[in-house]
Amino acid sequence: MTENRLNFAPIALALVLMVTGCAKPPTEQIEAAEKAVADAQQSGAATYVAEEYTKIEGTLSALKKEVADQDAKFALLRDYGKAEQLAVAAKADAERVKAEAEKKREEAKIAALQAQQAAQESVKVTLDLVAKAPAGKDRAALEAIKADADALKASLNQVQIAIDKADYQAAQKQAEAIREKSAAVSHEIESALAKIGKGKAPAKKK
Amino acid sequence: MTKYQRLIYSLAAGYAFLVLVAILTACTDAVPQDVVEAIEAIDRDLMELRAAELAPDDYSRFAHQWMALKARVQAEEDLIHWPWESNELDLALRGLYEEGVQTVERVTDQRKALRQTAEHKLASVEDRFQILTDQVGAIDSRLVLGQQLVETDLLVKQARAFFEEGQFERSIEASDKAGQMLISQTTVLSSELGRYADHGRIGRWQQMVKETIEWSRRHRTSAIVVSKADRVLTLYKNGQKVLSYPVRLGFNGIREKRYQGDGATPEGRYRIAGKRGQGQTQFYRALLLDYPNEEDRRRFQSARKTGLIPASKGIGGQIEIHGVENELMAQTLGCVMLENAQMVYLYDRVEKGTPVTIVGALHEHNSVAQALASLGQRNNI
Repeated sequence: MTENRLNFAPIALALVLMVTGCAKPPTEQIEAAEKAVADAQQSGAATYVAEEYTKIEGTLSALKKEVADQDAKFALLRDYGKAEQLAVAAKADAERVKAEAEKKREEAKIAALQAQQAAQESVKVTLDLVAKAPAGKDRAALEAIKADADALKASLNQVQIAIDKADYQAAQKQAEAIREKSAAVSHEIESALAKIGKGKAPAKKK
Repeated sequence: MTKYQRLIYSLAAGYAFLVLVAILTACTDAVPQDVVEAIEAIDRDLMELRAAELAPDDYSRFAHQWMALKARVQAEEDLIHWPWESNELDLALRGLYEEGVQTVERVTDQRKALRQTAEHKLASVEDRFQILTDQVGAIDSRLVLGQQLVETDLLVKQARAFFEEGQFERSIEASDKAGQMLISQTTVLSSELGRYADHGRIGRWQQMVKETIEWSRRHRTSAIVVSKADRVLTLYKNGQKVLSYPVRLGFNGIREKRYQGDGATPEGRYRIAGKRGQGQTQFYRALLLDYPNEEDRRRFQSARKTGLIPASKGIGGQIEIHGVENELMAQTLGCVMLENAQMVYLYDRVEKGTPVTIVGALHEHNSVAQALASLGQRNNI
């Protein structure tokens, strides 16, 4: 009986080693983590939550190193438990950062669109004032202002271009500058109109 | 066991107990929490400094190390070390802490330097833009620049807004763009108005004026000279200056007249072709000039042939020296405008055929040339 038990011992030991020696990298979790990080990057995390995003990249890097370290070990001694933990953590962090980036991106987009609308309305007021300005000799006094109003109208295109490029910060700043300048030009026109009064139609060539 | 032996055993046991307690209390955590907290504080500092944007490589190195160590911290949180065992994690964390402190200092310095650069550039473009606006206003050349003046204004405003939000890199970017536009506008002004600083051209204008005054002296009659740069009309009688009045020009008067509706006031030798009294003009009183003359026609045809003037444009006409239609108006379309009281005085002292010489400038130190020189100096071009 004792002899039989001793004969089975090496077999049992080999069986245990075979089972434990079958440790494999947590490929699925690693891929899921990498995809989550790529998604976060796509959502603008590198712009809106740059530091958080850099840290996720750091976690991903640590994960890859851990897998490489385990891969370098003798097959029976490999343990991917820590790699799996890192993969799970990286995925969770990436999803959190992605949500945060999307929130900030959306807020920036809303702010840019609101600024764009305010700028459009302001420029419209300015252009309406220019259109109301009397013709004839009085037109001359408003020529320079009209050129400014046209320039402001043209600048609105730049805001749209920045929005199309998803550069919401630039779009917002540009729109705010347009609104401010437009208000100043409107004020200038109102002052000129108040001085000029009603104009007459042009009668001559110059 | 004798009493003496018991005493020895008791002392040995007590000693062993003390050694055990000493060993146990000397055990240390594998993870030094105070260092971990200090590194977390450094990370917060770096985030506040926007280190990822400002010094991406520095921050990336710190963050990568921190994340790698954090994974080890989590794995070894519950472990303890014997005092004689080396603690690699502890050493690595302390190393990262030291590196983090240096990174914070470096990024702080970088941010400070960036802020100074942004502040300097912003102040420079704001100053240069103000000077350009003032000079352009002073020589009535706003329209020469078209939309550029507004575009520059918008860029300067954006640079200011970014600076105030602490986005120094974007502020610098906007300031640089504005700076380039200011240089470009100075170039446009120099190209369009450079004749006001041209020695040869000014010499010709001076000659024209000299001949007009001489004509007045020789024919013992009146002659008018208008200087666009000075915006001054001077009446001569028998070759002697009788009066000088300030005038307003067309809304684009500083430029050389090229075609109808451009708002420019022509330069050349003209004569009064007709006098329009009250009721004959909407501008109080007017002296019609014989624009376009032969020289104007020749120049216009030549420019048209070379495509400088669109085929749809006419040469224009009805250029006058006139009064003010409305007391509160400040501009004209291409004529020379005087205050009504001065117009009456002038009107009564000239007649049909009186020479009117309109020149860009009478001397080299005219307002336009000075404005161009000032802008050129500011932009180092």
